[in-house]
Parts: sequence; C-alpha cells; structure tokens
Amino acid sequence: MTEMRRLDIAGGVAGLRAAGDQARGFLGTDPVTQNDALLGSELTRIGAQVYGHGDTLLGYLPNVDQPRQAYLASTSSDPDALRLFTAFLGTYQRCTSYVATVPADSVAVGAFDACGFRRIGMLRDHQYRSGRYHDVVMFFATGEDVCRS
Amino acid sequence: MMLRGYRDSDRALLTGYWLPGELVGRPVADRPPLAEPTTVTPPADPTTEMCVVPGTAFVRFTDLDWVNRRARLETGLRPEAVDDGEVLLKSAVSHGFRVLNLHRVYGWVTPACGVPVAALRDAGFQLEATVPDAIWLDGRPVERQLWGAVRHD
Repeated sequence: MTEMRRLDIAGGVAGLRAAGDQARGFLGTDPVTQNDALLGSELTRIGAQVYGHGDTLLGYLPNVDQPRQAYLASTSSDPDALRLFTAFLGTYQRCTSYVATVPADSVAVGAFDACGFRRIGMLRDHQYRSGRYHDVVMFFATGEDVCRS
Repeated sequence: MMLRGYRDSDRALLTGYWLPGELVGRPVADRPPLAEPTTVTPPADPTTEMCVVPGTAFVRFTDLDWVNRRARLETGLRPEAVDDGEVLLKSAVSHGFRVLNLHRVYGWVTPACGVPVAALRDAGFQLEATVPDAIWLDGRPVERQLWGAVRHD
C-alpha cells in the first residue's frame, strides 16, 4: 500500500512543477505561470500543507474562520488517494467537512465526484489561462459523505 | 462616495464588530459583550489593496491575483454608517474594475447576519456558491455564500 507523506515547501513546489497542467489551480496556485520562488512564497503565505501519495499530490488548507473545515486540492482523478487523505485529516486535524475549488476541466473533478463531494456552486471567470477565463467548480462534503462513497 | 488610500491615522476604522472577511461588513447584532472585536491588519504586502472612506468604512481587496485579475473584497462599516453599505459597495466595485483593472471581484456573505441581497445585486454581484458550515457564529458553524461580480469588457 502506498504511504502518504508530508512534503516540505521545496518538495511541494517540485511536485507541483512536475505535475504541470494537472496542478493548475491547486489551492489557488498555478505552476505554469508562477516560478518556484513565487509558488513557495504563496504556499507559505496561505499556510498550505502538501502531501504526496504515489504520483498524486494532495493539498490541505485550514479554514481560519472554522477550524474544523479544510480546503482540499488534488492533482489526479484517483478517488482512493482523496478518500485516504480526508480520513487522515479527520483523524489528525479533526476536520469534519471539506471544501474544494477545482477548475471545471481539471482531472481532479472526477476524484471529487467519486468521493461523495457535491457541487455547491460555480465561480465565474475565476481562472485565466490559455487566453481566456474559465469557471471553477466548488465542491463540499462532510466526513460522513466521504466515508459513504 | 469617494475612496482614498489607507493611512496610519485611519487605523481606528480597521476594528469593529463585523464578521471577518465579510463583503458587506455591518456590525453583528446581539454580539456577546465579551466577544473580541474583529481587527483587520493594515496592508503589508502586494496582495492587499486598502482604501477608506474617512470616518465611515474601510474597503480591502485581498488575495489580489494579477494573473487572473481577481480579488476578494471585504468592507467594514462604522455602526453609525450602516445605511451607506450599498453606496460603499458600488464605489468599491467601481474602484476594483476601473482603478485596479480587475476582471472579477468576489466576497463572503453570511446569511445569518442578514443578507442585503438588493444592495449586492445593484452593485453587480451574483450568488455563486453556498458553503455549509463555513464560519463559526453563535457557538455553531453556519453557512456562508460567495457572491461574485464579473466585468464584461
């Protein structure tokens, strides 16, 4: 079984860089338009934590207004990695609900759909890339929703 | 309503009994007397733009993203100026679109505090998402809405 490992900022930046297009929008960052220094300072500024599970990168950001809620990000369509990550956060960070903002055409949409997340909204023109603005889907799930999926 | 840049002498405007990060920051009714007021930090880095209406309110554009040309907007009104919320919102959106040249402005609204829906719609905002359990209020997590305004060039 693949283990989940926490990456330091440099490791997280390297992972995002390697993931390329699949990491665009990862906790609001964009490895295509941001260089390593900017990615690192942005991850530090927002207080993000990056974890690796096989080839998948998973991101966690606490909601400062509600410490039991976490913002999540993933770079793959693998629901198992996401399910494992939410179980990990539920156990070690006491998170009870999860929110994710994912570009509408990202591969990660499949992972959130398969993990019991439901779509709670669409942020219009939230991301600019490839010469035009794109919408971003917002997902939500409680810990029980993910367990049931 | 004319916005001007933040100065250190405006610091008193940055503390009040509104919820943190609120798009229309009006003082919360029935707030426990021992609850700490919310304090907004003065701008310290390029990801924040702050303006004030002297003696009335602050307007903060935070999470400024120049690639995606977007920012999260929050405001905070003094208790005696709550009726100016609608005008302030329009001025803030105008500042974001015309002065900062943003494409998108968005912000959090907490329905439990009373949503000034008409004011939001008049300022060009639309409801985009409703996030359950997004903020702690009155001893329980309550839902929060994301409202966004997009500039169509």
